[in-house]
Amino acid sequence: MAARGFLNLAQATEAALIVAAQGRDQAAFGELVKRRQGWARALLRRMCSSHAEADDLAQDAFIKAWDRLRDLETPAAFPGWFRRIAVTTFLMAKRRQKAVFEEIDDASPIASEESTPEAAAGAKIDLEKALGRLSDAERLCVTLNHGEGLSHAEIVEITGLPLGTVKSHVLRGTEKLRRLLEPAQ
Amino acid sequence: MTDFDALLTRSFAEAHEPADDGFSVNVGHAVARRESAAKLRNVAQAMGFAAAAAAVTYGLYGLAAGAFGQDLLAMVGIEFARAHSALSQAPSVETASRGLTHMLGAGTLTTILLTTAALAGGAVAYRATQD
Repeated sequence: MAARGFLNLAQATEAALIVAAQGRDQAAFGELVKRRQGWARALLRRMCSSHAEADDLAQDAFIKAWDRLRDLETPAAFPGWFRRIAVTTFLMAKRRQKAVFEEIDDASPIASEESTPEAAAGAKIDLEKALGRLSDAERLCVTLNHGEGLSHAEIVEITGLPLGTVKSHVLRGTEKLRRLLEPAQ
Repeated sequence: MTDFDALLTRSFAEAHEPADDGFSVNVGHAVARRESAAKLRNVAQAMGFAAAAAAVTYGLYGLAAGAFGQDLLAMVGIEFARAHSALSQAPSVETASRGLTHMLGAGTLTTILLTTAALAGGAVAYRATQD
């Protein structure tokens, strides 16, 4: 609670919140969760097939982050550090479920041909639907590559999957998404 | 990067989840529960350590006061007596060996067992608090 006295939570920078949370300030951590939850839940929703499961995993990831926050060396490293926790949480949940990273071959297009504003508004839903048709491993690799902008090497580091497997999942996943999302020619 | 890759990256960037107050509240409650549990665990751990330390101290005190205290004094006395008797041509070695047997007898063994049990108990309590 050391930093609580002079920290205006609503106006504090993320770095200040992280430093305060490292001092076990629960209110500062609460504010950090408030600011980062959209990103974290979106990341996990893209990796998981169910929104409820994604939110549960996001909650687990934040709790793990709270437990390990003292290990974070610099506040600037928080996004990458938290992303790693989220991915590890996801992978551990899959291992607990004994989920096999199965192949899914259903790649029938789900995009409509018209490109109206309504269709653009539905792009998020289409992306989620399309991601739902990928295997867990493809979804994970495509999300980290296209969604989080990680390189193949960074995905290898964060997931522990072999480089060839990561490349293959990204390539196949992207190709499936192309078939699912692009309007029929 | 192909046009589709760029489109995909843009779609990911645009797909943000709206803030959910319920989610933040749930995380806050979970963290608060965790902190309370951690405090209780720390108290239990401190109490376990204190109990173990007290038991060990008691055991060591018993050991020191029993084996290395009275018996040591007795041994010193016996040695002194033996030396004296050797000087006065009156050997009494069996007295010294009796003192040694007594030192390693039931009283000392009980103290050692008590100390070992205290250490084992402390270790089990520590392990339990860690779990």
